[in-house]
Amino acid sequence: MVELRDVRMQFEEKNVLDGVSLDVEREERLVIMGQSGSGKSTILRLILGILRPDAGSVFFKQFEVNRLKRRKLQQVRQHIGMVYQYSALLSSLTVRDNVALPLEELTEKSQGEIDKIVDEKLELVGMKDARDLLPDELSGGMRKRVALARGLVLEPELILLDEPSAGLDPVIATVVDELIISLTKKSKVTSVIVTHEMESAFRIATRMAMLYEGKIIEEGEPEKFKESRNPVVAQFLSGSTEGPILEGTPDAIRKK
Amino acid sequence: MAKAEARREAPGAFEVVEFQRTFLREVGSIFWFIVNTFQESMERVQQGRVPFRAASFFRQTVRAGVDSVPLVGLVSFFLGLTMALLTGYQLQRFGTERLIPGLVAISFTRELGPLITGIMLAARIGAAFTAELGTMQVNEEVEAIEAMGIGPLRFLAAPRMLALFLLTPCLSTVANLAAVFASSLICKAFFSIQFLYFLDLVKDSLLIRDIITGILKSFLFGLLIAAIACYRGLTVKGGAAGVGTNTTSSVVTAITAVIGFDTVYNVIYTNFYPT
Repeated sequence: MVELRDVRMQFEEKNVLDGVSLDVEREERLVIMGQSGSGKSTILRLILGILRPDAGSVFFKQFEVNRLKRRKLQQVRQHIGMVYQYSALLSSLTVRDNVALPLEELTEKSQGEIDKIVDEKLELVGMKDARDLLPDELSGGMRKRVALARGLVLEPELILLDEPSAGLDPVIATVVDELIISLTKKSKVTSVIVTHEMESAFRIATRMAMLYEGKIIEEGEPEKFKESRNPVVAQFLSGSTEGPILEGTPDAIRKK
Repeated sequence: MAKAEARREAPGAFEVVEFQRTFLREVGSIFWFIVNTFQESMERVQQGRVPFRAASFFRQTVRAGVDSVPLVGLVSFFLGLTMALLTGYQLQRFGTERLIPGLVAISFTRELGPLITGIMLAARIGAAFTAELGTMQVNEEVEAIEAMGIGPLRFLAAPRMLALFLLTPCLSTVANLAAVFASSLICKAFFSIQFLYFLDLVKDSLLIRDIITGILKSFLFGLLIAAIACYRGLTVKGGAAGVGTNTTSSVVTAITAVIGFDTVYNVIYTNFYPT
């Protein structure tokens, strides 16, 4: 469904992505892991066509996203849902209006139909009672759930989730993770999840990929990851300070 | 590397060239911003849909227009008072104080009304637009809108631009009326010019051309202020500090642009209609 071919991306002097190739199969939940600032969220923005790669190609179904013109790109984006790390709900709109926004702007549905769909989606994420509240009146977990409802409201084929459980307490993080699993299963939607929270990653993933120094260094089933002999993957999973990840970084020097 | 060398060899010339380059880049960006917003809105119209929500447009018109009436009216009223008073005493020395009504009416209708309104709106509404859109940009709300497949220019910038484009001439008219009314009070109190005579003098001196010039200018100023404010808001980088920087820059740029365009407009206009 999604294919990244030898994608390279540079921000100022830094090579964030240095030849990333990745396939996402239909109905799978691919978790991309990596350190903060390693370029995980950049991959999601490349799939959405918000960023364009310096080299390489990004495909969503048959469309080469990085070559699409604005109008076509907007049409393609309607088949992709995105849930941002900090939810990115429109602060001036109520929960109901936030979820209804894509329907009102991009479909020909009547207000009655829109209200029905919005209620249905809010029910799915357990937020129906909060429909008239503003985002400021919601907790972090509630915002994530509303963002998830908004991401799924157009029945997308692909949903991208940027750090879905970051900043949430463990209980709410589990609730959000389980919600993601049940909703993606129910709607048969393919998902790409970016996270560095290990527990959350292993709970959600049907497949995992590890991004390190601009490259995918390991890819496979969660079980394969746990047994990986790659020292970077092993250090990342264990959270140890000893290993190649901190070598030559200011963090390592400070330790010594 | 070449830049650093050029800066070392001729720092003064380098600064001038850099300034010109930045200036031209900014002018070009704002021009394309207006074109792209128009294009995005028109594409939507071609699809048989409204480019933005009517509620959003009316919210902006109330904010930019109705809520600005007291400020614009009051400032223009005081300016009208001062202008009539100060010019009145000078004209009285030559026995020509009956020129005051025409002087105030023409200068406000053609020049000061649109200019004062433009400066007030740049400070009041331009800053608000930039801060609001900048905060949305920082909170990834703008990107979220784009990610949904909704054009952020037509959804966020177009209603604001249209509201200010249409409301600035109305506010200019309010400014003109407030100033003329203020000068009529001064004329009566200090120069014994009665209201009816005052109105006759205004009617005799004011031409339709003066009114049209002022209105056309106001449309242009409204569009310019809104475009600069929205552009600056949607290009915020660097978190809260970036919002602050761009808000200041938006106000300064908009005020400078309004005065600059006013000058250019006057130069061109007086070439065609010298009197």
